[in-house]
Amino acid sequence: MIETFDDLARTEESESIELVFPARADLVVLARFTAATIAARAGFDVEEIEDLRLAVDELCVSFGPMDDRACIRMELGRSDDTVTIVASFDQVPSPAAGGAAKTLDAVSWEQAIELSERLLDSLTDAHGRETRAGRPTAWLRKRHAAADR
Amino acid sequence: MLDQPYSRGQDASLPVVVLAGEVDLAAAPSLHSELQSLISAGHSTVVVDLLEVTFLDSIALGVLISALEQCRELDGELHLVLTEPRILRVLEITGLMNTFPIHSSHDELRSAVGEVSRP
Repeated sequence: MIETFDDLARTEESESIELVFPARADLVVLARFTAATIAARAGFDVEEIEDLRLAVDELCVSFGPMDDRACIRMELGRSDDTVTIVASFDQVPSPAAGGAAKTLDAVSWEQAIELSERLLDSLTDAHGRETRAGRPTAWLRKRHAAADR
Repeated sequence: MLDQPYSRGQDASLPVVVLAGEVDLAAAPSLHSELQSLISAGHSTVVVDLLEVTFLDSIALGVLISALEQCRELDGELHLVLTEPRILRVLEITGLMNTFPIHSSHDELRSAVGEVSRP
């Protein structure tokens, strides 16, 4: 069972995609699109694909306000019935960051981070956050439900 | 995700913000400024129409909760109109089903607002 980032790193993936994009709110759609594609290839049904799209979006939200001076590096992998996604933010977000940070109030962000955690708890089989090589890193794992039947 | 994810209308004399498509990190700032502009203009009760929304993430919910709190400080309310099961599920997962007044149609909203305003 995968409980930690180290467990995740030991899994063998049958297909892996790396996605790197500027940490801009309007580019998070790329992460959702790629996650949906890899989930479909893993045999996820429509509901599960939608869950994964939301979960990968929440990984990005968990980094806080976007900053287009930074980039988000995402590794999406699948092995049979399981999709794993590891995302890292290459620069620690600062209050002076661009994008959403300019126009969203602190209350909205505080609420969002808490709600994001609840969503990830519900939509994934496992997820976590830690600092790897000095970068904020968030990961998730989701298994195809039919695999349990 | 849309550059301008909303339009504005009126229902039962209340301002309505109509959202469509994917309301995410990119759309949240526009939603935030639209709601702030209505509240600043003196509207303590606002309606957000989510009937055509297909995706709603935690940051969009954070914006709605922040606006709801401001409306309630002014003795108003923030009503949601929605039927999309996926959006209802997001509200359920996050424990917000009973936080907002939720209506399945504008008729239902008008009826509820009428009842609220009746002496």
